[in-house]
Amino acid sequence: MTIADLWILMPLLLLAGGSLLILLLGAIVPGRHTTTVGAVVTIGAALWALQSPPALLAPNLGLAATPFARFFTIFFALTTAAVLVLAERYNSRHGIAGEEFQATMLFAAFGMVTLSASVNLLTLFLGLEALTFAFYILVAIDLNRSTSAEAGLKYLLLGAVAAAFIAFGIALIYTGSGSLAIDTAMQAAAGDNLLVRAGWEIMLIGLAFKASLVPAHLWTPDVYQGAPTPVTAFLAAASKGAAVVALLLLLTRLDTADFLRIPLGGLALLSMVVGNLAALRQENVKRLLAYSSVGQMGYVALALLAGKSGGYEASAFYAVAYGAMTITAFGALTVLDEGGSVERVDDLRGMGYKSPFAAGVLALALFSLAGIPPTAGFTGKFLIFAAALRAGEFGLAIAGMLTAAVSVYFYLRVVVSLYLQPRNDSFTVPAATATESTVLALVSSLIVLLGVLPGGMLELAAKILR
Amino acid sequence: MMAGYPLLTILVFLPLTGVLCLLPLWQRQEWTRRIALLFGLADLTLAGWLTLAAGSARLLPGNSPPGFFLFEDLPWIGRLGARYTLGLDGISLLMVLLTAFVTLVGMVVSWNAIRERSALHYALLLVMESGIMGVFLALDLFLFYLFWEVMLIPMFFLIGIWGHGRRVYSAIKFFLYTLAGSLLMLLAIIGIYLLHGSQTGQYTFGLMSLTGTAIPAQAGIWLFAAFLLAFAIKFPLFPLHTWLPDAHTDAPTAGSVILAGLLLKTGAYGLIRFGYPLFPDAAKTLTPLLTGVAVIGILYASWVAFAQTDMKRLVAYSSVGHMGFVALGIAAWTPVALSGAVMQMVNHGVTTAALFALVGMLDERSGTREVAAYGGLWGKVPLLSGLFLLFAMASAGLPGLNNFVGEFLILTGTFRVQPLAAVLAFLGIVLPLAYTVKLLQEVLFQHERRPLALPDLSLREGTILTVMALIDLYLGLHPKPLLDLLNVPVALLTGLTGGAP
Repeated sequence: MTIADLWILMPLLLLAGGSLLILLLGAIVPGRHTTTVGAVVTIGAALWALQSPPALLAPNLGLAATPFARFFTIFFALTTAAVLVLAERYNSRHGIAGEEFQATMLFAAFGMVTLSASVNLLTLFLGLEALTFAFYILVAIDLNRSTSAEAGLKYLLLGAVAAAFIAFGIALIYTGSGSLAIDTAMQAAAGDNLLVRAGWEIMLIGLAFKASLVPAHLWTPDVYQGAPTPVTAFLAAASKGAAVVALLLLLTRLDTADFLRIPLGGLALLSMVVGNLAALRQENVKRLLAYSSVGQMGYVALALLAGKSGGYEASAFYAVAYGAMTITAFGALTVLDEGGSVERVDDLRGMGYKSPFAAGVLALALFSLAGIPPTAGFTGKFLIFAAALRAGEFGLAIAGMLTAAVSVYFYLRVVVSLYLQPRNDSFTVPAATATESTVLALVSSLIVLLGVLPGGMLELAAKILR
Repeated sequence: MMAGYPLLTILVFLPLTGVLCLLPLWQRQEWTRRIALLFGLADLTLAGWLTLAAGSARLLPGNSPPGFFLFEDLPWIGRLGARYTLGLDGISLLMVLLTAFVTLVGMVVSWNAIRERSALHYALLLVMESGIMGVFLALDLFLFYLFWEVMLIPMFFLIGIWGHGRRVYSAIKFFLYTLAGSLLMLLAIIGIYLLHGSQTGQYTFGLMSLTGTAIPAQAGIWLFAAFLLAFAIKFPLFPLHTWLPDAHTDAPTAGSVILAGLLLKTGAYGLIRFGYPLFPDAAKTLTPLLTGVAVIGILYASWVAFAQTDMKRLVAYSSVGHMGFVALGIAAWTPVALSGAVMQMVNHGVTTAALFALVGMLDERSGTREVAAYGGLWGKVPLLSGLFLLFAMASAGLPGLNNFVGEFLILTGTFRVQPLAAVLAFLGIVLPLAYTVKLLQEVLFQHERRPLALPDLSLREGTILTVMALIDLYLGLHPKPLLDLLNVPVALLTGLTGGAP
């Protein structure tokens, strides 16, 4: 182990160490400080990744400190910090006591960072499974609600199947190419290696599950609905981001992704259509956002399909934008939720005037998800459709545009509830705390920033994918 | 002379700054409306000053393209080639002036009508003013699209929060209808962007660069059709007009005033500024279609307006007819017809805004907009009736009032290239007279049908309507200053496509 290895490992050590520290601390002095420790550790990991590394690779560890890895380390660490802060009050209201929540969150972040820094298929798999494992616990962490346990079980069963697919796919790729290193293994796919290609397609099924692409999306609505709202936020923002990162890591190393055009295009089309149409009929806000995320991931799949024409940049941009949008949306729902009474879209009636700030950022996130400028969602969709058209995918681009037009309706329905349907019965919404407001304000200003001045992020996305 | 100041940026973002000033006074209704009015006035003053300065040719920075008084161009999103480009020529100058004025009218007519959440109401009006200003000034397609969509959101909330009747339905219908068209236009924008990029290697959204793109005929038709669809929905042209009567019926007065006065103009403006110049060949091919729907729209709207019992719906359908004239003028694409179309946009903006304001005032007083409820207003509220008569006659195209000028120019200009369409559209001048006279007779004259306690105009209402009446008269009797402003840009535009015979 060299200094450089240690340097590259440091964010992971911080997160894993932080996770253990929280568990120990919780046993000695229980209390609220675990969230603070978690936030400090994650922000520390993000700050560490900001510096330029002494070496790009730690070959013994199967990890890298490429700009790509560092960028997503920062993204995942900050996402975790934001969700930790937003979950604090929700947890105490819902009786999610103890330090397991924070420790597991950090462990999930550990998995995500491992994934984005991985240079061989094994580390990639370990990272992916570490984060999924953490989510098995997080989804089911609310002991007082049976739906939480039900969601946890569903996620566990389907997650295990997906893991099996990914493991089998990796095994095939390894058999075909004789290497676990992503670079070498992916190059074998270019040479018409049937085993590698078959492995790729089987792995794609597993990854489609993680990204909830149709037809592997069936768990999404139930899990989104059943999981505690902050966990749903984390699931949407970070776990979807992790799936995109995994796909980007693999796809960008392929010389040609032509053999994936039909499966990936099919996933994209189905997800855009099914996700956005199914969301039209949802009464539950979280289910609605679950189907919306199926649709949104369809757009990302379209971007990945058009990768070489700027689609990879578009999907990296969209992963960040989508993270900001979902943290804002679910974060606002967390704040508006008073003891689990915000379930249906109708429950949000009049919130726009009762709780102007939280409802305001929720509306912003919804407009952004709907792709209305000047927001991150618009810039992201613009990049995706531009890439798709440039790659010659006219049919998919037009289908995407039409489904995007349809999707506006269900996003608007939530906005209508917030502002257009006032109610007179007295109900109280606890005001957001200062820290919650700060986090929501920061994340939502990122939505606007990426919509008005996306230049910097675009340069960055191009740089990390070079 | 004023090249040192980014005047156009100030023009666009001054109202948005007003929103920030409203934030700390969220709870103080008295103050919010005054501050909003102040910012509205400031923007109008700036627009007015620009008009005077443009007339005396004091604004001529060296770098502006021909025909433009003011031009601002800054790098924005380097990787995409999108630039922050604003430009002011005669056409956009008139539109900017109209925007500043009609927004002010919207504020004044909602002075007492909006009692709940007034800070939000005025904030939305200001955001909308910024958005519409941006649409009329942007010369970069990416920037244009951004403003184009931004102006939807405030109108959605205006209709949805302060509207009447089926306000939620109408608000959603308005939003989805216009958005669906816009999204296809976005695809077309990306299309021409990529086409130009692949031809020249320079990826740009700048209108001036894109106009030179060689577009394959087939692709051009599709791209232009997408633009035309988005603009036709905004216009609205028959048969895409169905959102308009609903939106107008359920919108609050300020919403109707701005919808009719400004939002409809953005469609026509987009067609003039972007649609025709970007796709001259495709536009020529599809001109018969545009002429056809324009003429059908003119006749159909007048026919339907005749059957309306709700005054707001009636004015809304008359709007569809008048905008049909604008479309006809654009379709002819001769200097005279195009000048007439832009004139008609201004005329219709002022006159119809005034009519909607008047109907709103009647509604505010008696709680109904049914024609059948009124009668005999002439004796009871002479001031209101007199102005109602004036604006209704202006809308019907009485010579000496403003709308006549626009319609006359459009018909003259069209007759040279499309005689049949002009003859048919001429009926569209006669038919409005029928429903207008019927409306006036029933509302102003006859005997009183319901005992409504109607006070006459207040000082606030009287002032704003008198100003609008004076504008109507001035434009009707002396349109030359406006037409002079239009000469250069219209000549440049029509020369560009070689449409003038």
